[in-house]
Amino acid sequence: MQSLRIVVVNPVAIEGEDDPAFAVQAARGKDLRIGLLEAGYNIVASLPADLYLPERIAQLQPDMIIVDAESNARDVLEHVVVATRDARRPIVLFTEDAKTSSMDAAMAAGVSAYIVAGLQTARIKPVLDVALARFRQEQKSLAELSDTKLKLAERKVLERAKGLLMEHHKLSEQEAYQKLRRLAMDKNLKLSEVAQRIIDAADLLG
Amino acid sequence: MDVENVLPQDDLDTSLAVDGKRRQLLQTATLAAGASMLGLSSTATGAWAAGSDKPEKTEVKIGFIPLTDCASVVMASLLGFDKKYGIKIVLSKEASWAGVRDKLANGELDGAHVLSGLIYGVQMGIGGQKKDMAILMGLNNNGQAITLSKKLADKGAVDGASLAKLMTSDKREYTFAQTFPTGTHAMWLYYWLAANGVNPLKDAKVITVPPPQMVANMRVGNMDGFCVGEPWGHRAIVDGVGVTAITTQEIWKDHPEKVLGATAEFAAKNPNTCRALIAAVLEAGRWIDASLANKNKMAEAIADKSYVNTSKDVIDQRIMGRYQNGLGKTWDDPNYMKFYNDGLVNFPYLSDGMWFMTQHRRWGLLKTDPDYLAVAKSVSQIALYKDAAAMTNTPVPKDVLRTSKLMDGVVWDGKNPQAYAASFKIHA
Repeated sequence: MQSLRIVVVNPVAIEGEDDPAFAVQAARGKDLRIGLLEAGYNIVASLPADLYLPERIAQLQPDMIIVDAESNARDVLEHVVVATRDARRPIVLFTEDAKTSSMDAAMAAGVSAYIVAGLQTARIKPVLDVALARFRQEQKSLAELSDTKLKLAERKVLERAKGLLMEHHKLSEQEAYQKLRRLAMDKNLKLSEVAQRIIDAADLLG
Repeated sequence: MDVENVLPQDDLDTSLAVDGKRRQLLQTATLAAGASMLGLSSTATGAWAAGSDKPEKTEVKIGFIPLTDCASVVMASLLGFDKKYGIKIVLSKEASWAGVRDKLANGELDGAHVLSGLIYGVQMGIGGQKKDMAILMGLNNNGQAITLSKKLADKGAVDGASLAKLMTSDKREYTFAQTFPTGTHAMWLYYWLAANGVNPLKDAKVITVPPPQMVANMRVGNMDGFCVGEPWGHRAIVDGVGVTAITTQEIWKDHPEKVLGATAEFAAKNPNTCRALIAAVLEAGRWIDASLANKNKMAEAIADKSYVNTSKDVIDQRIMGRYQNGLGKTWDDPNYMKFYNDGLVNFPYLSDGMWFMTQHRRWGLLKTDPDYLAVAKSVSQIALYKDAAAMTNTPVPKDVLRTSKLMDGVVWDGKNPQAYAASFKIHA
């Protein structure tokens, strides 16, 4: 398996503010990056959470993004999450707090995983592997669900359009279906699109 | 009164471990003033006589983001209103809205000062996080603003109309910042741009930036405009980097803004704690709104490093309605940030909640129409709120919906959310 391409997002210092939390975060981040490298991970970039973060992530297309849970970078990253919500990627939070390290609680909160600071290098890998596996599984079920929903909706539209044709043109079900197929081929449209147009037209004309 | 000597100036501990002596000082000094004015007895020893009313959880951890509108939550703790209702508010200063959301969801925080829109974003699972949420009360109306850079102002763009004109004549990529994708500032910014004929998603680049970083980013030319809560709008004026193009109260007078949020599970398991918490914050809001002197003390208190971490002068102008736009215009705004306003601020109107969902729908954050009313009913904890309002003699409006006219003359009364969401010419 190809090694994971990871992006680590770092906090940005606020101008004119001496924030002790910032120094702590920076140190934590450094330890984490060393740990990841030692565990054989490929950190493709270590990015500051500035205005260009969304563009950089779009360019790099990492498999996973890691950010400090207490970072002021979280909301900038949130923008990326919402903007790319149809192509989500796992976000792993790096935290000082052992209490939040329960995978189930994290998953329930929509986070892929938490890594607790001070985690030995050897233990980072299993955490990330499980996080990624669970994330992919979750994405797959989500995709299947929306696919099923879509198919169901399309079938309903098709049935309704057939019904309209049968009623208005005195066709058999088979003939109505053939007519829809012909229309779809002539107009180079999907069957469901033609069906929707027929319904829309019928709605308009009452 | 000199709050300087009683506030923890050197206290880096944001969990607010104010020692008893300081707390007492602050209380006797400020509460006495507030209490006598409100006809309260400042020697109240907890309102919970009956065992069944006892708060299930007596210590509540409440998150806040360093903004002026965290004031009622902070003052409820500083002035001891929490104690009066048998709970202890433990304040936790947070670095990001995303962090607030995750900590509410996983129980690290019991409640939080949070963007109304964010609560509905989590409720609907926008961006991944889906959890049943609760709004216990509104925290404030008004008091946010949209700022345009000095560079734009020099080119004549000082309000919505002149900005739209400049964007048409001087074509390039224009960048505007808000604070959270589903939050209030994103919705004010989008509404204002669209009301001026600019499609925020197609004609501009919108980014998310934490409030304390707005001014610095504008100074170095990273953005053309931003929408954020005070004190940052005023700070941009003071620093000479931007001009106030519009205040949010001009977009929607008395608009909903921050709420006291929790998970639905927390509200269901701890109804007495929630009532006590709402009551304490109601009293704090009433205290802030009661006089200019109290507002002054509030500004002094929340300017501290443990809270907003700025100078008192940056906070204390706009909370009194003293506005300046950075171009020499000054005015007294009667619709400044309100924390109580006889309870009108705090009632969790269903129409307010639904409005955010209609805008999420309008801008494509929601792909389909939710059952607006049912969702708002499940989120707004109106029954709990009414109990707390009764405990504090806070007037409660008759109707769970209210009618508002926004800047473009369009009326929102909460009656047909689906049609309203679909009625905008400019949308995603």
